[in-house]
Amino acid sequence: MSAVTAIPVDIWMSSYRAVGTLIEPIVDFIRYLPVPALVPLLIIWFGIGETSKIAVLWMGTFFQLVLLIADDAKRVPREFVETGFTLGARSGQITWHIVFRSMLPSVIDNLRITLGWCWTYIIIAEIVAANAGIGHAIWSARRFVMTPEVMAGILTVGIIGLVTDQAIRFVHRRYFRYL
Amino acid sequence: MPFLRIDGVSKTFGGDVRHGDVHVIDNVSMDIQAGEFVVYLGPSGCGKTTLMRIVGGLETANSGTIHLDGAKVTGPDRKKGMVFQAYTSFPWLTVVENIRFGTRYRDDISKAEKDEISRHYLELVGLKDFANYYVNRISGGMRQRIAIARTLAAAPDILLMDEPFGALDAQTREFFQYQLLEINREERKAIIFVTHDVEEAVYLADRIFMFLARPATIIEKVQVADHITGERDITVKETEAFFHLRNHIRDLMRDEGRRNEEMAERALMTPEEGGK
Repeated sequence: MSAVTAIPVDIWMSSYRAVGTLIEPIVDFIRYLPVPALVPLLIIWFGIGETSKIAVLWMGTFFQLVLLIADDAKRVPREFVETGFTLGARSGQITWHIVFRSMLPSVIDNLRITLGWCWTYIIIAEIVAANAGIGHAIWSARRFVMTPEVMAGILTVGIIGLVTDQAIRFVHRRYFRYL
Repeated sequence: MPFLRIDGVSKTFGGDVRHGDVHVIDNVSMDIQAGEFVVYLGPSGCGKTTLMRIVGGLETANSGTIHLDGAKVTGPDRKKGMVFQAYTSFPWLTVVENIRFGTRYRDDISKAEKDEISRHYLELVGLKDFANYYVNRISGGMRQRIAIARTLAAAPDILLMDEPFGALDAQTREFFQYQLLEINREERKAIIFVTHDVEEAVYLADRIFMFLARPATIIEKVQVADHITGERDITVKETEAFFHLRNHIRDLMRDEGRRNEEMAERALMTPEEGGK
């Protein structure tokens, strides 16, 4: 969901410099706020449950992604865009057919990295602001000193993380064979 | 009205406080005929590329106008095909897909015709055996051929080339120069070709415009056909007329370059001496 919101913002930012200079300081400021510090606020706003979890994840990843993907967009060679114009493409077509296509592999890479952070944030969110989930399970087990259950929870998180990471890598290899 | 008319074009880039504005092109005018092969020759950074980019609509002039085929140039479009010095073939497409990309924004032809055109240019630039390779598997020379084929596939009225063979080795270069002459003959397309290589200029051009560095002004126009007659092929490079013209232009460039440097030195020295 962060990805869905971050990518358009980035394309918007990279196409209009004014937008970029306006947004970047704000993004930088929020980016340095530790996400767990925001959890109390999010609980007040969204209560305990799924909405809070999603809000934590979004806060934790959106602002990082904006910067990462903005860099990807900047790395698209200027000649690619100019070539597009001289082949008769309009700017919307250039955005989709050239800029987006050109930055896609590194965007997927960044999503993979961000997904790793997501796991950290989701556990934090589940420990403090949820009534279900692996984090919640680990935390409940702690209360009764059930070390094996805590270990099982940690392992599960690790394995799910590994599986998703491999899945994205597979997608990467499958669709970006030209790299 | 000629095919392409450049009329009193000047261009200044905004500099910083210390250095002030950089005056890159100073009041340049020229007419270019349909099918003509024009070379802009001059030292690196003299503004010849900028002038070509203005013709292509990728930069705007501070003053002056450009008319292509009677219409005023206001921005880039398919009529003004451009081949850059940097490799611009798209890595996510195969060789043939890259060439076909040139036809992507054409609505004057059908899908079948697009396939036909892609195949035609694929063969023209000799990449038929590499059609389904991704571009990271092929050499720099081949990538530049893709860029040329892709540009031609878009059916531009004029071809603008910015030192397209700059990064190639001598043999490959010679081969491409000949191919480009062939394309110019077959397609009867006007070409503006930017280079700092005197021999390349004499070999390719119908007409050479020599530029002086900063701001770019035309210091000499050479009608190559007045000096070198007959069919242009690789044997031309061995003729006496070719040697003469090449040496003449090289000397001219050297003299102008020296005069320019002396002028720049004097300009630098004056304020210091005044302070003593």
